[in-house]
Amino acid sequence: MLMSNETRSKVDRATFTITFERSLSASREQVFDAWTKSEHVTQWWDPTGAPLTECTIDLRPGGAFRFVNQGHGPPFEGAYRVIERPAKLVFDALGSVGTVLLEGRGQSTHLTVTIRCASAEHLEQFVKLGVDAGTDRTLDNLVAYLQKAPN
Amino acid sequence: MDAAERLDLAFAALADPTRRAILARLARGEATVSELAAPFGLRQPTISKHLKVLEQAGLVTHSRDAQRRPRRLVDGALGDVDAWLEALRNQWAARLDNLGAYLDRINAKPKPTRKKRSR
Repeated sequence: MLMSNETRSKVDRATFTITFERSLSASREQVFDAWTKSEHVTQWWDPTGAPLTECTIDLRPGGAFRFVNQGHGPPFEGAYRVIERPAKLVFDALGSVGTVLLEGRGQSTHLTVTIRCASAEHLEQFVKLGVDAGTDRTLDNLVAYLQKAPN
Repeated sequence: MDAAERLDLAFAALADPTRRAILARLARGEATVSELAAPFGLRQPTISKHLKVLEQAGLVTHSRDAQRRPRRLVDGALGDVDAWLEALRNQWAARLDNLGAYLDRINAKPKPTRKKRSR
């Protein structure tokens, strides 16, 4: 695993959101295609690095995708919500919502991936509550506490 | 109750601003129902209802003091939530590492010269 690369990620336990940022030496179009074309997704999707055995993509709002690995985990499947090449991709999968944002930075692309977790109905609550809760001081206290607390 | 059910209960319990505020208050120390109710401007039965949800999710418990029954946080209460988020985070971190390496690889390909020969 590449640990030297700035593997920045933020976990917000109050909204169950995980945010990742990466800088990639490729154009936005190229990165977007890497997310949305099966010949590319197959090559990088699986965390173990093994190619997928099945990768079907119906790239349109509401269209389904299904990524099957070599049997060491459940398939990753869901549906696309927003497709705005090359800037934005939003999908539902396994009770979470993934958002991929791509910004051009000279020759490279800044990638921000947000995974908002929970089952579908909890998710809707989080989305609704998230905004006003964000400025809530007591919530900040909770988050600070949870970050300090040992596992 | 298995881990998945505990997670469902924990997520549901946390999906409410009042219950998150109660947890934040209890993170600073134990408190009775009336002590919890006062700053929220809520009636005690309302607080009790929220506490019940938090107790059923295994996040909050009450101390032995039979008279006051102060509530407190369960040690390691959000351990399941934390572990689950951590596993998911590791998975995504590895995935995005792959993406970076893959893009580097395909961008390197068209160039015929792979490696400089040392002479």
